Amino acid sequence: MNAYLQISGLTKRYGAITALDGVGLGVECGDVLALLGPNGAGKSTLFGCVLGLTRPTSGNILLQNHSPSDADRAGFGYVAERVALYPQRTVLENAAFFARLKGQSDGEVETQLKRVGLHDAGDRPVRQLSKGMLQRLGLAIALCGRPELLVLDEPFNGLDPVLLDTLQSILREEQARGATLLISTHTMSAVEPLATHIAILLRGRLAAFGTLEALRAEHGAEDSLEIIYHRIARRTHETEEVCA
Amino acid sequence: MRTEATTVRRLRSESDVYATSNTGLESNLKTSKSSSPRVLGQCERRSPASARLVSLVACKEFSDRFRSGWVIACVLVWLGAIGLTSFLGLVQIGQIGVQGYERTVISLLNLVQYLVPLLGLLLGHDLVVSEREEGTLRLLLAGGVSRACCLMGKFLGGCFTLAVPLVLGFAIAGTVVGLSAKDNAIAPFLRLAVSGLALGILFLGLGLAVSTFCRTRVQSLVTALLLWCVAVFVFDLVALGVVVSTRSLAAAQEIEVLCDTMHVNAAADIHSAFDNVADRSAHAAPADRTSTLGWLAINPVDLFRAVNLSKQLELHVPALTILLTVALWLGGTLGLSVWKLRRTDL
Repeated sequence: MNAYLQISGLTKRYGAITALDGVGLGVECGDVLALLGPNGAGKSTLFGCVLGLTRPTSGNILLQNHSPSDADRAGFGYVAERVALYPQRTVLENAAFFARLKGQSDGEVETQLKRVGLHDAGDRPVRQLSKGMLQRLGLAIALCGRPELLVLDEPFNGLDPVLLDTLQSILREEQARGATLLISTHTMSAVEPLATHIAILLRGRLAAFGTLEALRAEHGAEDSLEIIYHRIARRTHETEEVCA
Repeated sequence: MRTEATTVRRLRSESDVYATSNTGLESNLKTSKSSSPRVLGQCERRSPASARLVSLVACKEFSDRFRSGWVIACVLVWLGAIGLTSFLGLVQIGQIGVQGYERTVISLLNLVQYLVPLLGLLLGHDLVVSEREEGTLRLLLAGGVSRACCLMGKFLGGCFTLAVPLVLGFAIAGTVVGLSAKDNAIAPFLRLAVSGLALGILFLGLGLAVSTFCRTRVQSLVTALLLWCVAVFVFDLVALGVVVSTRSLAAAQEIEVLCDTMHVNAAADIHSAFDNVADRSAHAAPADRTSTLGWLAINPVDLFRAVNLSKQLELHVPALTILLTVALWLGGTLGLSVWKLRRTDL
């Protein structure tokens, strides 16, 4: 298998708790993978493993057939569920610091700040930003250097409709550019138009994986992603009860 | 009804979807197939060299400390302490005013051995744990900065933050002493400044290790303060206790030397001894004293004191002992920090 990102038998245990249980999937270059699942399903842990922040208990992750190095990760963009930046520093300083770590120029920082609509807020300290602005700044930092792989952990949480639309537009542009996107979310209506593939994680296990069309063909051709998700979750739960 | 052995297949589309095992016993390997390969519109990506990453993190660390007022506060505290101690260092034996370099060194010994390790630990204790608590460490490391680079950058930034007030304080005090006392024999003072800075850096490394191991800032601060107490107070008393309990007769003379080498005897005693040259002959032979230094090197605070009192106590501290101690402490604490951070899930 020559997927751009190949995850095989990925397991992560925290003591007695199994956060990920033998998860395996492959993503091609340019795919948009929507990772769905309830809280505590292991979505952030999976992203942590991809980004090298969490050590898997077993299994492996291959990026273009090799284990991702720190240099590879300089080509990743990451937006955390709770965007954490240096509060005493300004928008521009924060963005410039993280961009320089990736070897990017200040010009690229300005371009990305403009793209997310924060070019006028460059001198504002981050502690003064609203949640939406912070989210946009996190996205601008992630977009610096036009990353090959964008990992977005719950990027649609708490966004107003206008901001949500802006974010979707930017993600579409990234998709058109050819970037690979991994998006975890509970806002399924927001990710539905973007996603080329859907993965559903339930209690650390991959319950379903495929294109939206394939899921529809299997679980209801007319239904929305949210209804399909609930159907799969319910069936998996019932099956587990029977097995138990 | 399905049994445990039944593999629950959710998706059966031909090429896009692969089966999944709901039992978790089988490998859940699936691959999506994109319809056509796409060309990335990347801008040219430069892979930042490790040295560049380290310097970026170090500069950011120093800049943050400077903005927070840490550096300014340290400069003021250090200048005030060093000025007062230099001027009033002999008040215990009825003298006042700025003395020569050698006397100033004796006066400053206690200040340096108490304050500098504390500054190093306070500076180092939150280098990692604060960013971990706030969540910025995730973003930092997700951007391709290796954990070793991150730690080295933070350590170097901390060194610079520590060095600015210390060097400034020593430089100003040294200039004032030289001009006021018209003393040209600056070597003991330079030795104090260099060994004091080295002492601070060793404890900064220890603070960094504490910061890497602890989960919260409070936990890290408490651990750092406990380590300071052990290094400055507890170690000496325990060491003396061991000498007395195991070699009570043979160690009678060594204890006196140790009390001087450690902080147990007040500076006034050493000043008195400095005035009375005859007192020096009362000490044990130099060869005997050197034999005690092996285990003094376990604690950098005692080694620092032994180095700076070598003339007064007629002790010779081999350069190799000093270098080995510094290398082991620095290598040990930094190595431990890297080892721990690499095993930490963020």
